[in-house]
Amino acid sequence: MASRPARRKSKKSQAGAPYVAWERLAPDSLVVTNDPGNHAFVPARELPALLAGGKKTGSAELLAKGFVRDRLDFDGLCESWRTRNAYLAAGPGLHILVLTLRCNHGCSYCQSGAGGAGAKGTDMPASTARQCVDFAFQSPNPSITIEFQGGEPLLNWDALEEAVSYARRRAAASGRKLRLALVSNFALMTEKKAAFLLENEVSICTSLDGPAALHNANRAYSGGDSHGLTVKWLRYFQAKHDSQKGGVPVFKPGALLTVTKRSLSRHREIIDEYARLGLEEIFLRPLAPLGYARTKWDEIGYDAAQFTEFYRKSLDYILSLNRKGVPLREKMAVMLLEKIINARDPGFLDSRCPCGAAIGQLAYNFDGDIYTCDEGRMAAWAGDPIFRVGNVRTSKYRDIATSDAAKACAAASNLETQPYCHRCAYRPFCGVCPVYNYEVQGSLAGDMPSNDRCALFKGIFGTLFSYLKTPGKGKELAKWVENEKK
Amino acid sequence: MKRNKARPAGLFFSSSVYSEEAVRLAAFVFSSREEVRTSKEAGGVRAVLPAGSPELEGAFANEVLNQQCRLDLAKKNSKVANIIVTRALLSAMGERG
Repeated sequence: MASRPARRKSKKSQAGAPYVAWERLAPDSLVVTNDPGNHAFVPARELPALLAGGKKTGSAELLAKGFVRDRLDFDGLCESWRTRNAYLAAGPGLHILVLTLRCNHGCSYCQSGAGGAGAKGTDMPASTARQCVDFAFQSPNPSITIEFQGGEPLLNWDALEEAVSYARRRAAASGRKLRLALVSNFALMTEKKAAFLLENEVSICTSLDGPAALHNANRAYSGGDSHGLTVKWLRYFQAKHDSQKGGVPVFKPGALLTVTKRSLSRHREIIDEYARLGLEEIFLRPLAPLGYARTKWDEIGYDAAQFTEFYRKSLDYILSLNRKGVPLREKMAVMLLEKIINARDPGFLDSRCPCGAAIGQLAYNFDGDIYTCDEGRMAAWAGDPIFRVGNVRTSKYRDIATSDAAKACAAASNLETQPYCHRCAYRPFCGVCPVYNYEVQGSLAGDMPSNDRCALFKGIFGTLFSYLKTPGKGKELAKWVENEKK
Repeated sequence: MKRNKARPAGLFFSSSVYSEEAVRLAAFVFSSREEVRTSKEAGGVRAVLPAGSPELEGAFANEVLNQQCRLDLAKKNSKVANIIVTRALLSAMGERG
């Protein structure tokens, strides 16, 4: 093994020299963070003294937050790290059941591998759905979320109905905490189906890409006006939420946006549409070059810098609406601020170390095959089954966590071994995606200096920390997660 | 890393900076793009890309650097990295680490 000449630190520089990672927010301003995930803002000119551990090291804030090595509250910092990384002890909490690959929409960015509504042989039988539920209940996580996706899951209503009923019976019998969620385009929703879903406490989420022209351009629906149906049923479920009087709780319906190139110049229209419909959260979800989106990237894709600009302008606009009394939050910001401000795990599987592949979530395909995540399932649909970890009919639960794919993804997404990440200021709050790395860069570990997903997340973190540093915007953002504190 | 004009075309990676393991790992990563032949020499490892352009050789040299960085980092952090991964996998199985 090669060796390099050792550099001996002087005793003077060792005393008080803190563990910090830093990132420049502006020419004269840095954010510093440490392993437990505390952060502070430091003028750039003070960094050399901070790193050298000189007399000016110990401002009250830096001392309190564990930035001075010989003045650490080690127990407190360990507790903070444990809380922020509580998911390490939990096991898979999210179980995605892909009930069918049939879909009645033709979305330009589809990343589910969906085929047409008449495609044969891609519906999950009800018996397989029950087996998936059984498998999910073997997870050691005290709280299970089963999320029904597709294609369009309403196209396989029989399996959905059976899985929901069965899961509720299993939860009642076992005393486990169960959350059910449906992701649907609403095109096939009826009052009868809605009633069943509400009776069984299924939370509802849909896609809303913005005003009608933009939404329908992204999400082609041969049966009519996709946007009109989305709005109709959003209002229906909102009314049900607003009029509930005890009994089975009805959740507010949610909506999320997939940002495409078409979205980049229309942030105000998109956000105004969410506000118009009374939605209180908007998830500005970036598009990844996976699935169908990959083949159309030139038409619908963008780079990290373009997304960051869109994100910053969107946050600015949302905050301006907040000042006028409109209660709207951006969901990704909420999840990341939970980590940054409240030191809590928000369950954001895209942004944790190791990533959630097989250890935080599992995706069950229509044929019972189990994958590390939905992106891994999609890689298999595109021809590469590298992320398959088993099958509900033939695998034992233990096989999943001990599968090659689970171990490889956990190792590859460990930021302690990523050269670019281990010294990044955003490491305590971030995570990499082995599926993205593999699909885009050819290896599970990827190469972060040239990784656009990394650049995108750095852009988001840079925006959030810049705003947190600004007194006015910082307070406004902090309010978004004030009520999340226990 | 030196390109030696007196010898057959190739890149020489000095053992004062690069390990043989890093060069071999990089050659494996590159195997789908270009065959890379490696051989030990006094003071280091030579890597030859038979059909290599200067751009491809530069990309290969970057990959060797990438792999060496990972090996160096693993030396420092592998203990804590393994603890984290082991804990996560055991928890997923339902066992306490």
